Amino acid sequence: MSVLSRNHVQVSGSGTRAMVFAHGFGCDQNMWRFVAPAFEADFRVIAFDHVGAGRSDLAAFDPGKYANLQGYADDLVEIGEALGVHHGVFVGHSVSAMIGLLASLKAPDMFDALVMVGPSPRYIDDDGYRGGFSESQIEELLEFLADNHLGWSAAMAPAIMGNADRPELAEELTNSFCRTDPEIARHFARATFTSDNRDDLRKVAARTLILQCSEDVIAPPEVGAFCHAAMPGSELVTLKATGHCPNLSAPDEVVAAIRAFV
Amino acid sequence: MSDAFATNVHEDLEDLYETAPCGYLSVTADGVIAKCNQTLLTWTGRSRDELIGARFSTLLSIGSRIYNETHLAPLLRMQGHVSEVALDILSHGGIKLPMLANAAEKRSDDGKLLFTRFTLLEASDRRRYEHDLIAARDNAVERARSGKALEAAISTELEDERATATLRDQFIAVLGHDLRNPLAAIESGLHLLRKEELGSRGERVVELMEGSIRRAARLIDDVMDLARIRLGGGIGIHRSRRASIGPTLRQVVNEMQAISPTSAITLDAPPALEIECDPARIGQLLSNLLGNAITHGAPGYPIRVSAGIDAGEFVLTVTNSGDPIPEQTMRHLFQPFFRGAARPSQQGLGLGLHIASEIAKAHGGVITASSAESATTFRFAMPL
Repeated sequence: MSVLSRNHVQVSGSGTRAMVFAHGFGCDQNMWRFVAPAFEADFRVIAFDHVGAGRSDLAAFDPGKYANLQGYADDLVEIGEALGVHHGVFVGHSVSAMIGLLASLKAPDMFDALVMVGPSPRYIDDDGYRGGFSESQIEELLEFLADNHLGWSAAMAPAIMGNADRPELAEELTNSFCRTDPEIARHFARATFTSDNRDDLRKVAARTLILQCSEDVIAPPEVGAFCHAAMPGSELVTLKATGHCPNLSAPDEVVAAIRAFV
Repeated sequence: MSDAFATNVHEDLEDLYETAPCGYLSVTADGVIAKCNQTLLTWTGRSRDELIGARFSTLLSIGSRIYNETHLAPLLRMQGHVSEVALDILSHGGIKLPMLANAAEKRSDDGKLLFTRFTLLEASDRRRYEHDLIAARDNAVERARSGKALEAAISTELEDERATATLRDQFIAVLGHDLRNPLAAIESGLHLLRKEELGSRGERVVELMEGSIRRAARLIDDVMDLARIRLGGGIGIHRSRRASIGPTLRQVVNEMQAISPTSAITLDAPPALEIECDPARIGQLLSNLLGNAITHGAPGYPIRVSAGIDAGEFVLTVTNSGDPIPEQTMRHLFQPFFRGAARPSQQGLGLGLHIASEIAKAHGGVITASSAESATTFRFAMPL
């Protein structure tokens, strides 16, 4: 299976410079459905699903490879290479902000600019650092994830996943955007919420924009400020939007901020 | 339809909202609780003042809070509604109340999000049941996994055990064979000594040594037979078509009588008894049965041997007096290395009855034991 079908990569737009959109933990590339189209006139817009999410190839999910964020970053580099991305823009939501950061460290020529929407280099509080969560709270989340299986049924999964070329089949199903194998969801959640990329922030060479929501329980304002301080030359924009998903709740504000940056 | 009825319906709507058997919650686009019903206040033990104006996320357990941000809110934005979502609502005291939630967006005519409305249902039992199901599935998966591992381990162990057993039997066979040579040398030495002039003490010593050699030879024969049974799938016999069995039986009785003078051994057999068998093996069979009778029978009481043809079968019985064989012992009598409650000096390898039963088997026959207060009888019967 090629990299492009493994990650269900979608390319649109008429520009030459690439803008790659990466979704965070929870749903799939549909997270960018109100934002990405705004850039199709000026960019080659690339969106994809992380392995295990959306309509990616579930057979490619290797618990060892995806035990930490580097596995996801390696995939992103492969996608960029497959599509010949050079000096492009990376837009990453939530955990994908750090995935994009890791990818840019591995392939420095791939992205000139990084847009981080609600980034957090570490979710768990640490000595002198406030990430917003304690270790036991993250364990509680992992346990709670087993209680929800939105639209997921093991019996139905093969039919849905095996028909990537027939999107209408999948779209019929409610909750399909956030449908994930509960086991994989837990695994991704663990990789996400136990990650620590604080030391990687200062290595960033690309221009960086941090989009911080005014009320965000997952990435609180002080975490955005931490990122801003750790990345000299980064820009911090605090959005009026609340919650963790301004790309859905306030797409216009997000589009405007990205446009101003690039 | 009367006006009174219509008025009642209208009046009930407010009450229905407040005291419906489910919780109602309206949350603004900014995530602030704008309205909720009495049922939810009762369930959570919270006051209206406490809830209205608070952030919806503060009402959620930490797992639900993150889940709300990563799954629920995005889904609501994308499809406008979500159903059957598990959420843990926190009571006034911080206790988690397991709920199932349906949610739908209320938008203005120009598409602006006004509220997200939640309907909450208590789901403690259902959530507990789901937990049980998940635990049961995990258990089943785990059991299947460990079952397979155990199976593989047992099968490997069994193979090892078999290999070890074969090696042991081969070792016994070789050892037995090699012990025979030095024993034969000692025996020839004794023959030479017999021809010398020996004092009465020397005579006595030689006699004892001859007895010891006979016993050693017998033990070796037994373990060799056992090894042959194990390795060759049964004891080997050489059938003679018409073997005169009478003299063989007589000879065995005489030999055993010589070894054990305290118990009188009687033989009742027709003088001209010809059957198809391996006479040497049948002699060995009788010898082993007699050895058993001498060891376990009451000392001083007679042991009766009888042989004959009965209903197309050759039947050989050995009967002795003494304590009956316990039920427990009966089941193991013919297993190799099984030794009953014999006096220590009498203990052999526990192979006699096993070999006898194997000889019977090789002849297509069987040995059975019966034991009562008065007598114990071993009966060998083989079809002719």
